[in-house]
This record gives sequence, structure tokens and C-alpha cells, in this order.
Amino acid sequence: MKFPRTSGGFYAWLFQRLTGILLVILLLIHFAVTHNLPKGGTLTYAVVAPRLATATWKVFDLMFLVCALFHGLNGVWMVIQDYVHSETAQMWIYYGLCTLGLILLILGAITVIPFKA
Amino acid sequence: MAEYLFRIFRYDPEKDEGTKGRVQEYKVDVQEGWTLLDVLVHIKWFMDGTLTFRRACSHGICGSCGMTINGKNGLACETQIKDLGTQVITVEPLRGFRVIKDLVVDMEPFYDKLYAVKPYLITYTPPPSDRERLQSPEDRKLLDGKYECLLCGCCTSSCPTYWADKDFLGPCALLKAAKFSLDSRDEGWAERVNVIDDKHGIWRCHTIFNCVEACPKDLNPTKAIVELRRMALRGRL
Ligand code: HEM
Ligand code: FES
Repeated sequence: MKFPRTSGGFYAWLFQRLTGILLVILLLIHFAVTHNLPKGGTLTYAVVAPRLATATWKVFDLMFLVCALFHGLNGVWMVIQDYVHSETAQMWIYYGLCTLGLILLILGAITVIPFKA
Repeated sequence: MAEYLFRIFRYDPEKDEGTKGRVQEYKVDVQEGWTLLDVLVHIKWFMDGTLTFRRACSHGICGSCGMTINGKNGLACETQIKDLGTQVITVEPLRGFRVIKDLVVDMEPFYDKLYAVKPYLITYTPPPSDRERLQSPEDRKLLDGKYECLLCGCCTSSCPTYWADKDFLGPCALLKAAKFSLDSRDEGWAERVNVIDDKHGIWRCHTIFNCVEACPKDLNPTKAIVELRRMALRGRL
């Protein structure tokens, strides 16, 4: 079975960089707010939960989720393309990674979206 | 004058077929100013006529004598024994290519990648009738660090991405592609981009920089790949 690909690796390359840049920004905000770095803060349920229940943080965490999932799995996909040469094997791994990504996305989303303090 | 021990990779297709080859040791009294190529020639002429390696110019211009010297790729004829700083020196054929005999590797897949990127000036507009195609000094400067390549194979042979993916065009072919694509007189981008904008082309490179370290002419294939990416990106967006 031939595995159709048209972008020649361009989009995998481009979005690995774009999500990488986004991850740096999101991580900095995450550390600054959640962990209150560099001072350090109290991470108790009473402090954290009300913030995580706001719409802003739900959007933030969903972006974090999508970027990290895409970046991580796309990174694995790029490594697979280096080392696995059979088109058929590549295809199965590709759909496997997509399925894994979808499952993790749903798991993440049902944790983030309905959260109430 | 000092005695050095050379541990040289040997592979005889008639005797060693199916093996990974072997290492043979030679003790050589190295004269002042000898390069590794001088040592290899000395071994071949006076110690062991069966030792096989490529060389032609002996002056770092033909690119025949690329090999792995103490684990680092380089030209035997441009490597001063004194500069290696070790008493024991290992010499191996270039990695990533099939060994034909001893230090001689099959460069055919390497040349195939080179031909694939159309490494020549492509033009459609006719040249001026009274002179050659001119270029401004600034445009000519863009080719510095690109035209000097000898095709020795040291860069592509050092590239882990090429080791993993033998269809990867590799740093050398991509440097050549950049050399012609950045030439103000060239009109072949549309043809060349089809070859390099590919999963085995510019997007496969992982910016490992081994090629930069390996190049005996201090060229920068990684930078050339980035320049090609910039051109391809502009074309796509
Ligand atoms: C801090 C922000 C991050 C940045 C700026 C970043 C940047 C990059 C870049 C540029 C690449 C491509 C490298 C290449 O082509 O060789 C890459 C690859 C990769 N990244 Fe990230 N990354 C970040 C965080 C993460 C995180 C959090 C994960 C895990 C979920 C991750 C997993 C991977 C994987 C698996 C690869 C493929 C390995 C490779 O190509 O060498 N990265 N990253
Ligand atoms: S013999 Fe010509 S480059 Fe070394």
C-alpha cells in the first residue's frame, strides 16, 4: 500500500518550529503564573482551582495541550521517517500516532474543559 | 622524526567478504612535514603494496583522499601527522558508504544525489552577444563559501541523518544546490526546488552541524541548507 504524502515534509517541519516557539511562550507563562517563579508560591487546591476554572486558563491549557501533543508526536513522526524506510510500516505508525494523539487530546480536553473549582 | 603507530582499516573483497573488515597496524618512522597521505604512500610503496586508497593531486584540490582520521573526516593530503596530537592514529574509510576495498568507498550514491540537484548553471535567456554573463561583485560574494567544494564526501559521510536515510540528498548536494540557486545568473530554481523541497531534501536535515565540522575547506553546508529553506519557504508562502 502506498502512503500518500504531498507536502514533502514541509508542514511537519514548519509546525514543529511554530509549536516549538509557542511552547516556549506558554511554558514561560506557565512557570511565571502557576509556579510563581522566580519567587515560588503556594500550590494548594484552594489557590489553583479557582484560576483553572476560568475561561482564560481553559483556553490557555487547551493551547498548551494541542501544542505539546502535536509537537511531541510530530517529533516522534520525524524520527520515524529517518529510521523506518518501509512505506507500509510508516503508514501504520502514522495512523497509530494520530490515534494516540486523538485519545490523549480527548483525555486532556475532558480534564480541562468541564473543570469547576 | 618520530615513530607512530597507524591502525588502518583493511577490507579485501576477495578474502573478507561477509565480514566487517579488520584493522592492520603499521609502525612508520614519520619524517618532518609528512601528511597522512605521505604515510599511506610510504606504506604502499615500501611496506605493504596491497594497501588501497584513493589519491590524485596530493594538494587538497581533487577531493579523492577523504577518509576518517582519528574519528574525524578529512583529507589525508591536508592532514599533518604532527597536528593530530596522538602517537596512535586510526584511519578508516568514509562512513555511510559501502567499502569497496580498504579505504576506497563506493561514491556512486553520493554522485547520484549530486546529479539530482542539477549542479550546473541553468539559463533560459540568451547571453549577451558581445560578452559573458556578468555579475556584480555583491552577487558574486554570495557564492563565497559555496564554490570551493571539492566533492570529497567528508560532509555527507559525517551526517547522521544520511546514515539513517540513504535517500537523504545530504549536505554536499544541498550545498551545490545552494551554490547554483543563489547565483544571480541562474534561472533553474523552478526545476531544482522540485528536487530539494522533499522529505529526503532540505526538510530532512536536523541541523546537527557534523558537516560543518567535517568540511576540510571550512565550508558551511548547514547554512546553505538554511538558505535553501528560506528560498523554498518564500516560494510556498
Ligand atoms: C521548550 C519548547 C520547545 C522547543 C523550542 C522545541 C523545539 C524543537 C525543534 C526545533 C525540533 C526539531 C528538531 C529537528 O528537526 O531536529 C524539536 C523536535 C522534537 N521535540 Fe521539541 N521543542 C520544545 C519542547 C518540546 C516538548 C515539551 C516535547 C515533548 C512533548 C518535545 C518533543 C520533541 C520531539 C520528540 C522532537 C523530535 C526529535 C528530533 O527531531 O530531534 N519538544 N523540538
Ligand atoms: S589527494 Fe587530492 S585532495 Fe587529497
